[in-house]
Amino acid sequence: MNTFIRALAVSASLALLGGTSAQALTVYSSVDEENSTVILKAFTDATGVAVDMVFLSSGPALSRIEAEKNNPQADVWFGAPSENHILARERELTQAYVSANADGLTDQFKDADGYWHAIYTNPLAFGVRTDILAERGAPVPTSWADLSDPAYKGLIQMPSPQSSGTAYAVILTLREIMGEDAAFDYMKTLNPNIQTYTQSGTAPSGALSVGETPLAIQFTPGFLKLKDEGFPVEVVFASEGVGYEVAAMSILAGTQNLDDAKTLVDWMTSAAGQQAMIDAKTYFLPVRADVNAGEGVSSLDQINLVSYDPAYASENRQRLVDRWTDDVLGQ
Amino acid sequence: MALFTKSARQIKVLARDPVLLALIVVIFASVAIFVVYPLVKVLIASLQVRGTWTLETFSQLGQRRLYRNAIVNSLSVGALVGLLGVVIGYIAAFVLTRLDVPGRRILHYLTLLPIISPPFVSAVSILFLFGFNGVITKQVLGLQDFSIYGFHGVVLSQVLTFAPIAYLSLRGVLSSINPVLEDAALNVGASGWQAFWKVTFPLSLPGVASAFLIVFIESMSDFGNPLVLAGAAFPMLAPQAYLEITGSFNLSRGAMLAVVLLIPSLTAFAIQRYYLGKRQYVTVTGKPSASASRIVSPGVKWSLYALVVLFAAVVTLFYGVIVIGAFTRVWGFDYAPTLAHFAYVFDVGFDAVTDTLIIALITTPLSGVLGMVVAFLIVRQRFPGHDLLEFGAILSFAVPGTVVGIGYILAFNSPPFVLTGTLTILVLCFVFRYVPVGIQSGVAVLRQIDPSIEEAARNLGAGSVTTFRKVTLPLIAPAFFTGLVYAFVRAMTAISAAIFLVSANWNLMTVQILNQVGSGRLGVAAAYSLVVIGIVLVAIVIIQTGVARMTRHSVSVKV
Repeated sequence: MNTFIRALAVSASLALLGGTSAQALTVYSSVDEENSTVILKAFTDATGVAVDMVFLSSGPALSRIEAEKNNPQADVWFGAPSENHILARERELTQAYVSANADGLTDQFKDADGYWHAIYTNPLAFGVRTDILAERGAPVPTSWADLSDPAYKGLIQMPSPQSSGTAYAVILTLREIMGEDAAFDYMKTLNPNIQTYTQSGTAPSGALSVGETPLAIQFTPGFLKLKDEGFPVEVVFASEGVGYEVAAMSILAGTQNLDDAKTLVDWMTSAAGQQAMIDAKTYFLPVRADVNAGEGVSSLDQINLVSYDPAYASENRQRLVDRWTDDVLGQ
Repeated sequence: MALFTKSARQIKVLARDPVLLALIVVIFASVAIFVVYPLVKVLIASLQVRGTWTLETFSQLGQRRLYRNAIVNSLSVGALVGLLGVVIGYIAAFVLTRLDVPGRRILHYLTLLPIISPPFVSAVSILFLFGFNGVITKQVLGLQDFSIYGFHGVVLSQVLTFAPIAYLSLRGVLSSINPVLEDAALNVGASGWQAFWKVTFPLSLPGVASAFLIVFIESMSDFGNPLVLAGAAFPMLAPQAYLEITGSFNLSRGAMLAVVLLIPSLTAFAIQRYYLGKRQYVTVTGKPSASASRIVSPGVKWSLYALVVLFAAVVTLFYGVIVIGAFTRVWGFDYAPTLAHFAYVFDVGFDAVTDTLIIALITTPLSGVLGMVVAFLIVRQRFPGHDLLEFGAILSFAVPGTVVGIGYILAFNSPPFVLTGTLTILVLCFVFRYVPVGIQSGVAVLRQIDPSIEEAARNLGAGSVTTFRKVTLPLIAPAFFTGLVYAFVRAMTAISAAIFLVSANWNLMTVQILNQVGSGRLGVAAAYSLVVIGIVLVAIVIIQTGVARMTRHSVSVKV
């Protein structure tokens, strides 16, 4: 697929020969390879800007950008959590440009000075098999409080905090909403309703698809995919609030291709760009409230997003996971 | 002093046979490096936190109820699975090797089916059948609140997965018991039941004990079935150790749990060794014969047969589900037939298929031959450090796979041995991890063969190598077969040690299956499993043909 983008880049630059700068936009992408390929292809189709993509996961991407600081080899860093882009700004690796469409993004999806903008977000959600719940006569839960209802005894799958960052995000979310002690008390009362704590953060949606569980907790993409494939799945965002992850992009300092880089940022933050991302079946949630992830899925202005401090999260991980295994698993 | 002169005498005898001496030295060194050294590394890691010596991790055993529950749960599951596994394995081995019943070949293959598929798969088919939306529990029986998760789910899945290992291990032993002994008991007036308890069962006791041990340890170290089926309220030891290392990257705590996991396994191992060390059985005295056992009445015979058929039927049902799952779009939701899962295996995931095959093909002959050679040395030769070698060579089989995997990472990621990420580390791990089953079977069978047969060969001028190849090997062919099949099967299906050792260059199908189960692509997991099962079935037929050709020697020798 990467070679496909390259071929596209070559043909596009040939078409532009004799015109202005014929150099392709070089993108270090930390969005998974399959999805970044389809998103950037949609970008090239829409704007005619050729893209040369190098796939690097977030850690290696950051160290590579830092190593190339004095002679930048790329123009845009595309993807990776927003925390990493804040770090890149602090290390003066990126430059400010306020997107022409920045007004469409709420504050948590952009840097106030324009150093980074969000590409997409994945909030935590409940995936609900409405057919199974209807058969049992159980209501569709709408809040964290609903989930601890004894009517859902043994009916919920969520990942284990011992192995999954997704489950850790659940702990952090509940801690923000309720305070730490109350959050652990809540998880203790929730425990009888949990069928199994899965090892992987994406396993619950798999169990949802085969009907092994009617209720699953994880980040949205797995649920949006099932919904798109025609499963009777409803995606519920807890009314008290849900944690979320944000993938962002920044323009690298010293880029030789500033105009095309700006075009990418403008396009990605536009309604058209966000819609193209949905149409490409990435199953990411758009960061603009005026673009919808699919029929029957809440748009951003209807979701109560809960933020937590990433520095606190990484410093307290062992402690909170240990407390979870002692209080909840070992009770 | 006496000990010293004895050793000196033994060395003097050995010096006359340099091949044998060199062999012993090489095997000693390998066992030290690839079995003992990694375990020492695990022990060290469990006693260190960030470079300082401490008992901190062990003190958590007392403080954390989770760990205490996990220990109790794992022990009770292991004991019950060991017991049930051996009972089923014994009945199946007895019926299929000693009784004249129809369809033995097909029943044999059906009984073997569970061990030739990766452990995750039986758990998945249990979910398909008995899960919340299971075909049997929900769609046939209409149960709404039945939960397969917990003790019973894990036991069911593990019995199904590991009873065939007991069967395979007992098969070689039972088939080499000379029926003349049973007939003699019957002739002097014993009832069939008495003949069984006084003759057949005691003779097979070494095999029974080692089968129980294998199943118990497999159960203790298995994390595939517990990860899928233990559920929220039933913590177990091996998954906890695995989660500590792969989830929390907490090496010292994982190593500590590994050490805890090691204690019951080594205890069972020690009991078995001391208990059986005192017993010697010689039943094959130059006239191997294969006639049907007469100790069971027709009624008993057909009841036992019915049990074996029942087990085979259950296996068929479980794996039928996997076959259907592999060709079905989404189990339980959309039963439209599809080849998409196989297309994925042969397109995206084919590297793992070839990697696994290469590793298995290198591992099998190495492991099989090494197993027989070591068994031969242990039973027939006397040399200094004899008991130490025996202990070391069989040790890794008492060590849960998770522990071996952690040990290999700790031991071979830094000089003098840098092997992580290579083909070599996977092959070495598999050879030394799975050779003990070959050794155990070899020892069990060799102890029943009168050494005078070999002495006769040596008196006629054959060297130790010739004697081994021409006389011993044909006699222990059933055990050799067990060793080969076990090595190949485990190389194709093992996961608990290998998951720590795979890399981008060398990946395994079992690890792929785990990933697919983890991402909810159960159809792809089922398709991968069928590929594994297909390959292993073909390999077993080839191995059996090869071993049968080798055994024809002994038939021609028969007086």
